Amino acid sequence: MMLAAIPLLPAAAFAVLAPMSRALRNSAKTVSLVAMTGSLVLALVAFAEVWSARGGEGTHAVFHAFLPIAPGHAFGFGLLLDPVSAVMLLVVTIVGLCVQVYSLGYMHTDERVGWYYAVLSLFSAAMLAVVLADNFLELYMAWEIMGLCSYLLIGFWHTEEGPRKASIKAFLTTRVGDVGFGLALAAMFALTGSFAFDVVLPASAGWAPGAATLVALLLLFAAMGKSAQFPLHVWLPDAMAGPTPASALIHAATMVAAGVYLVARALPVFVASGVALTVTLAIGIVTALLGGTLALVQHDIKKVLAYSTISQLGYMFVALGTASEVAALYHLVTHAFFKSLLFLGAGVIIHATHTQDMREMGGLRRKMPVTTAVFTVGALALAGVFPLSGFFSKDEILASLLRGGHYWFFAGALLAALLTAFYVTRLWVRVFWGTGSDHAHEGHRVMLAPMAVLAAITAVIGFASVAFAGFLGHEGEWPEVGLAAASTLTALGGIGAAWWVYSLGGVDTEALKARLKVPYDVLVQKYYMDALYEAAFVKPYEAAARALAAFDLGVIDGAVNGVATLWVRATQVSRNFDVNVIDGAVNGAADAVVEAGGKLRRLQTGRVQSYQRLIVGGLVLLLAWVMVLWPLLKAALKGA
Amino acid sequence: MPDVNPVAFVVLAALALGGAVMTVLTRNVVHAAFWLLEVLVATAGLYLVLSAEFIALVQLMVYAGAVSVLVLFVIMLTLRRREDSVRTRDLSWPVAAMSAVLAVAIAYVTRALPVPAPERAAQPDVAAFGHALFTRWVLPFEIASGILLVALVGAVWWAGRGEEL
Amino acid sequence: MRVGLEAFVMLATALFAVGLFGALSKRSAIMVLMSLELMANAVNILLVAASRYVTPATMDGWFFAVFSLVVSAAEIGLGLSLVLALYRKVRTAELDRLDTLKG
Repeated sequence: MMLAAIPLLPAAAFAVLAPMSRALRNSAKTVSLVAMTGSLVLALVAFAEVWSARGGEGTHAVFHAFLPIAPGHAFGFGLLLDPVSAVMLLVVTIVGLCVQVYSLGYMHTDERVGWYYAVLSLFSAAMLAVVLADNFLELYMAWEIMGLCSYLLIGFWHTEEGPRKASIKAFLTTRVGDVGFGLALAAMFALTGSFAFDVVLPASAGWAPGAATLVALLLLFAAMGKSAQFPLHVWLPDAMAGPTPASALIHAATMVAAGVYLVARALPVFVASGVALTVTLAIGIVTALLGGTLALVQHDIKKVLAYSTISQLGYMFVALGTASEVAALYHLVTHAFFKSLLFLGAGVIIHATHTQDMREMGGLRRKMPVTTAVFTVGALALAGVFPLSGFFSKDEILASLLRGGHYWFFAGALLAALLTAFYVTRLWVRVFWGTGSDHAHEGHRVMLAPMAVLAAITAVIGFASVAFAGFLGHEGEWPEVGLAAASTLTALGGIGAAWWVYSLGGVDTEALKARLKVPYDVLVQKYYMDALYEAAFVKPYEAAARALAAFDLGVIDGAVNGVATLWVRATQVSRNFDVNVIDGAVNGAADAVVEAGGKLRRLQTGRVQSYQRLIVGGLVLLLAWVMVLWPLLKAALKGA
Repeated sequence: MPDVNPVAFVVLAALALGGAVMTVLTRNVVHAAFWLLEVLVATAGLYLVLSAEFIALVQLMVYAGAVSVLVLFVIMLTLRRREDSVRTRDLSWPVAAMSAVLAVAIAYVTRALPVPAPERAAQPDVAAFGHALFTRWVLPFEIASGILLVALVGAVWWAGRGEEL
Repeated sequence: MRVGLEAFVMLATALFAVGLFGALSKRSAIMVLMSLELMANAVNILLVAASRYVTPATMDGWFFAVFSLVVSAAEIGLGLSLVLALYRKVRTAELDRLDTLKG
């Protein structure tokens, strides 16, 4: 029951806040924070439980077998607490609580802060349900609720066109992936008759390779939508239109990582397939490079971070592609902390400068020392600099690539790391170095405190890498010196290059842009993918919609109206028929009865003698029949 | 075949039938009562013709005596004025035709019925009749007297409740 | 010329029909009762005659006639007392005025 309370606490907060978000405007944050703190405490307890029982089976509580989904099959609504979900619980609750505390400062002027906290609570509940689900169907349900919350938060400022469009784009794009999830569910149910992890995953080893590949690729497609992997990544940069803390929680730390979690959970299916692993690897590396290159040319601080997120998620998919769920999940954890830290820092900066354009920023290190410090920690972790957490998790992914013999992919990953170091340094220099933004001011304590917490975790969690692997039941090892040297050199190379370009002015960027106009335009246009989608999907869809609308108005409506007109005519005819024939018949019958009754009524005179006369008349008729008619009839029949 | 005087029969039958017709045709109720009396007396004569002296005597006593007087009493009691005794004729031709048809039908049916011959010819006498009445027919006789008693009490009760009704 | 049973049957039938006509057509309750007496009388004539012709020794029909007389006497007595009670109640003895049961 304690386990169920972890997601149910924020869910209850949502249930309380949602219908009265306006009335509870001032107390919404309290309700939400209390619920989230409760979840965090319970998550810590759960983690301690699993920690003390590591090596065991973990806790698996099935609450009810209900929802008879097919004859002989019931859907068990259960919670699974194992090392993976325990870690995920901690990540979600810690980041969630930090973001909620941070939002106290960031959102306190907003009119609809009650609704903001309600949706944030619902999202936390859904994400916690995702990591606690013990079967794919339950996971899918929570997954969809997360998508809804993402939509609501991206479009939080729905009076403006940008957030509105972005929320629709995000929702529809992830829905494309979710179709794959639904098909995967159907496929796995057809194969095993169950959705439960402990039924489907062990059984997958016995599936035909085609079946395993099908299920794995469908799940991968779902994960690509949610985790913004190429080619379904287009929604994430636009999603930055939402409130920055929500971006930190949903679009950096948790929801976008749910795809990684899903693939990590379903990894036995991918291993059974083999092909699916290679596809995952390819998609991961493409996404990592794509995100890294696109981050180079962005001027919006949040968009840089968004492409960075895409790139880092691609990194995680690379790890998954080597069947190393430890590396993937470890990078997920470290990334959740440092990327949410970076987003929260970006939020403070945006608050201070009232702009998201880095070209209008600069020199903030003097005005905002605390922000600069924690942001630097996050940026170095992202760049993969020892001894911060990003170094260890990135190193594990690179190691897993080498172990698998994927040397080309290893080279790609190193290139992505170089790009990462480069664009994060570019961002750092643009924002904190140089001059500009003289009127900026340091953020409020309530915003700085959660950032400090996240920075501390980011700084130290790297040393938990071996313990983390052991906790998940794998042999953990420290980075090899050679590999560590290579990745550190890469990171330092990226940082140095960026420093040289942007701080020291080693290269005239404008001249470079002019020289490399074609590739630069390609990047600025995001590899023309939005344009491609616009041309391939949006425009044809709109054209089809217009055609259908015309068809609707002209043909369908015409037909409907024609039918309606005909119907009106028919009802008029019917009415006349009704009035004249039916009513006539009914009234006629009634009149006939009344008339006959009136006539027969005269028989009922109440006078004794008239009755007597009837009796005698009847007797006469009877006699006539017996004596005359019947003998005559008999004679006639005999004669015939 | 009993010896029935044809002349007596024809005269008595004519008297009875004529009296009956007069009873229903007369407009005066009092006259009708007297015509009824005439019919009942003629009937008694017919009983005598049939050698049924005892029944003829009962007929005279009960009908000609008691019933006629009773009828006349009731007529007197229900007539407030002398003129009330004269009434419309109340003739209904459909009813007359119906009655006639019925009579013809009955006559037609009974004409075809066989009349069984008596097992032995005998001359009825009152002593034998009275003996049989109080031996073989004693139970029906007592029942009849019970009926008469009940009717008597009922009639007295009904008619005698008087004005408080 | 012998008088057969048929003659009595004819006479009784005629009397019965006359009585029936009176019972059905007369409006006065007393007249109806008198007509009923005529009908009963016709039946009695038939009983007495038939018995005389068919069972002259046992006189079965005569006993029936006696009982019929008794019942007729009871009927006329009750009938007349009814007419009297009716008259007291509604001040009339006209049957066509008594249509309380009219539907």
